Amino acid sequence: MKIIVNKTEYDIDVEPNMPLLWVLRDILNLTGTKYGCGIGVCKACTVLIDGYPEQSCSIPISYVEGKEVTTIEGLSINGEHPLQIAWKELSVSQCGYCQPGQIIRAAYLISKIPKPTVEDINKEMSEHICRCGTYKKIRDAILWATKD
Amino acid sequence: MDGITNLSRRRFVFGTAVTIAGVVSGFVFSNEALAELIVLDKDKKILGLTPSIWVEITKDNEVIVTVARSEIGQGIRTTFAMLVAEELDADWSKVFAVNADGDPKYGDQSTGGSTSVRTFWMTLRKAGAQARQLLINAAAEIWGVSPSDCFTENSFVYEKNGTRKLSYADLIDKALELPIPPENSIKLKSVSEFKILGKAHKNIDEPLFVTGKAVYGSDFRLPGMKYAVMLHCPYIGGSLLSYDDSEAKKIKGVLGIYRLSEGIAVVADNSWSALKGREALKATWNPGSNQGLSSETIFNTFRSLLGTLPELPKSTIKELNATYEVPFLAHSTMEPMSAFAFFQDGKCEVWAGTQNPQTARNSVASALGISRNNVKVNVLYSGGGFGRRHINDYIVKAAKISKASGFPILFFYTKDDDIKNDYYRPASMHYIKSGVDSQGKISGFYHKVVSQGDVFYVEPPYNISDIRNFTEKHNFGIPTGPWRSVDYTQNVFAIESAIDELANLAGVDPLQFRLNIAKSSRLKGVLQRVAEISQWNSALPKGVGRGVAAFEGYGAYIAHVVEVSVSDEGFLRILKIFAVVDPGFPINPENIRNQIIGSAIDALSTALNAEITIQNGQILQSGFHNYRWLRMEEIPDFEIDILTTSEQPSGMGEVGFPSVTPALCNAIYNAIGLRIRKLPIGKTPLLKSDDKKNHYEKFHFNTYPNPFVSKVQIEVIINDFNKPSLQLIIYDFLGKKLLEPKLSNTGNKFYTELNLEVYPPGVYYAVVCLDNKRYSFPLVKTI
Ligand code: FES
Ligand code: FES
Repeated sequence: MKIIVNKTEYDIDVEPNMPLLWVLRDILNLTGTKYGCGIGVCKACTVLIDGYPEQSCSIPISYVEGKEVTTIEGLSINGEHPLQIAWKELSVSQCGYCQPGQIIRAAYLISKIPKPTVEDINKEMSEHICRCGTYKKIRDAILWATKD
Repeated sequence: MDGITNLSRRRFVFGTAVTIAGVVSGFVFSNEALAELIVLDKDKKILGLTPSIWVEITKDNEVIVTVARSEIGQGIRTTFAMLVAEELDADWSKVFAVNADGDPKYGDQSTGGSTSVRTFWMTLRKAGAQARQLLINAAAEIWGVSPSDCFTENSFVYEKNGTRKLSYADLIDKALELPIPPENSIKLKSVSEFKILGKAHKNIDEPLFVTGKAVYGSDFRLPGMKYAVMLHCPYIGGSLLSYDDSEAKKIKGVLGIYRLSEGIAVVADNSWSALKGREALKATWNPGSNQGLSSETIFNTFRSLLGTLPELPKSTIKELNATYEVPFLAHSTMEPMSAFAFFQDGKCEVWAGTQNPQTARNSVASALGISRNNVKVNVLYSGGGFGRRHINDYIVKAAKISKASGFPILFFYTKDDDIKNDYYRPASMHYIKSGVDSQGKISGFYHKVVSQGDVFYVEPPYNISDIRNFTEKHNFGIPTGPWRSVDYTQNVFAIESAIDELANLAGVDPLQFRLNIAKSSRLKGVLQRVAEISQWNSALPKGVGRGVAAFEGYGAYIAHVVEVSVSDEGFLRILKIFAVVDPGFPINPENIRNQIIGSAIDALSTALNAEITIQNGQILQSGFHNYRWLRMEEIPDFEIDILTTSEQPSGMGEVGFPSVTPALCNAIYNAIGLRIRKLPIGKTPLLKSDDKKNHYEKFHFNTYPNPFVSKVQIEVIINDFNKPSLQLIIYDFLGKKLLEPKLSNTGNKFYTELNLEVYPPGVYYAVVCLDNKRYSFPLVKTI
């Protein structure tokens, strides 16, 4: 099966119903995408599929054949995406574990709404759980990254 | 340029998930980076300068600080690096941290009790100052001047009255020839000389977090490694009777199935195959002695053990007899427990997120029957700790599975495993007997704690003449362990709620009441300041309330004011949290704010929703869907103020937790006069008693069953049949609209069956809208 992750094409031999999350983590060693719950609740595993945020724990690999997958490693491996810069500037993370998923959804949010309001951010980002409670900093960082 | 790509390979292991190769003599295996370290350590001239075990200066003029505490989200790697960098006058942009590996030479590496900063405050500063003095001595010798003619700045030594300067890296060779300055010759900076400490500093791990490069326990990868999960007994204290693995073995990728004392391990090529294999296992279990054990039995037993407390002093004119209840809690870290282990030739190497690498080392050694010297535990990032990672059950399992299978093993818990195999925050019941005298003073304060698991009593931080404490434990066999702020989570809820009740009995404002009796001037200080920033004495609209609570511990002082509104329908909104913390000396104010806000959200989430329930000897919760955490849209505004009152710092990872819950309950009382003595709050409908039954003249409202598990039938019978414009809306207890179900009717009877299966347990409200009026009825969902 051929899949495209972060603009690289991979030929992999796995069961068609294996969730994308495990393909990324165990087969491609792209461990930036995290496992939090495995059942679509926490959103730690969020990746972009053709530009839309999806839960990689709940997407069978066969579904992404021919589609483009972007993980945190593909956003900017050097951390130069405006959101990554904002996260660094504001020291958003505590344990950091939920942040790859948070940043991926925030990237989708600002691709859709370049200047999101607090309400836009709350609505979109409330999909995610941060057990350390960094929500305020996440919101501040998105505003910081999108200010004039 | 990215801060990581130019790091030496030594640090590479903390920066990337891949690139592991090679076998190092003397240890089972290691990665390329570690191999380099072991070889280079023999010849410090090549590597750099290590004046102590805590600090190293590299040839690239970088400073590497060894951190002997685990990063679990409290920012300790940044804090420790700051302590060294300050006294070393290091260029902060070139300061990095590596984790110590559980070697006893680093002293106790247990991360808990918020002790890290207090333990290392002097040690690390001295290490920095010692390195700095050594570098100055080296420069002085090269230049032929006195050390007192030199000064340091940004990782360079300068000549005071000259133009010469040398980088720290340039001084390594010379410094290696010189004696290390004795500790008693070292002079530390005074607070007024600090350039790094006390200023907001960026998290040194953020570049790794935001690129996905930080390696957590579950991210460790090694060629040839396998993945493992375990089928655990669903009954607490139960055991395996028999199992059939014939179907599991047929699953593609499954390599082996092993029966261990902890459960049945499935080893496979990847996580997915391991999970599929586990699903195909058939097992029968012996529930053991806990069959029939339920939360209800536990709390009933607690109640029966409360007994009576002594008579209060004669001066008592008003008495308080209150019982407060707190449930078991799971830690539910974002990253379920996981560990990598490789057992080979009688040795075992572990890579994991743990709060206690040294006990992990001992536990692995005894589980495998090998010497401690043959176990190495490397600390990786932890996706949250909160006390959970003091217990190293998952590391021992990883090691045992590696030994049984012969493979390098990444063992992991699913979220469900993680919640069901936790070491829970102990549940407890607190009977407080207290009262006030004719002057409005507390006459006596008697507190009995009944718990399963250790809950030591805590004394109120107030001047009370007659304080008596009693504890009693009853063991039901539920595994318990430390939980963020440990005994304080339960005790401070009970005590600070009771103090509020006593203030009401005395007819004194609750904040003033605390100020009158606070023992410590620093506690008074935070109370006074929180009164100012929250405008404590200003009037509030109807349904809005304020509550206060205070706490001292971990060397710090904090006061919280929580502002809430409770609508006529019972919807609770947490509007704002004011916190004033007195940490002594604030090392990294930005991190303090992060910790205070994070702890508050942790406390709110648990106070509102969290409870581990036991039924038939089994834990019922299984994930974030039924063990709920607050989301971004649900968090309040925050205003945090930091007071600087001393030159001693304190621990900040836990202090922000205990007083939030009582302040919240006190605020609810202030808003609607309803006293919450039982957590989580989300189990109690917040409706004023006078609101009940005022709908009878218009309609009758019936529910069945209520409490319910997933489905509930609702019936509205309207008295005046000519008014069918009726609407039913279902809300959660924070007022979020969930459903607007369609109603069927026969005559004046309107009905529907709701399925709330996907929602977490707790209170919901069915709001009947009729004649432009809203009538709210609680629906109680249990698990
Ligand atoms: S891991 Fe996919 S949503 Fe939680
Ligand atoms: S930073 Fe720890 S879970 Fe979000």
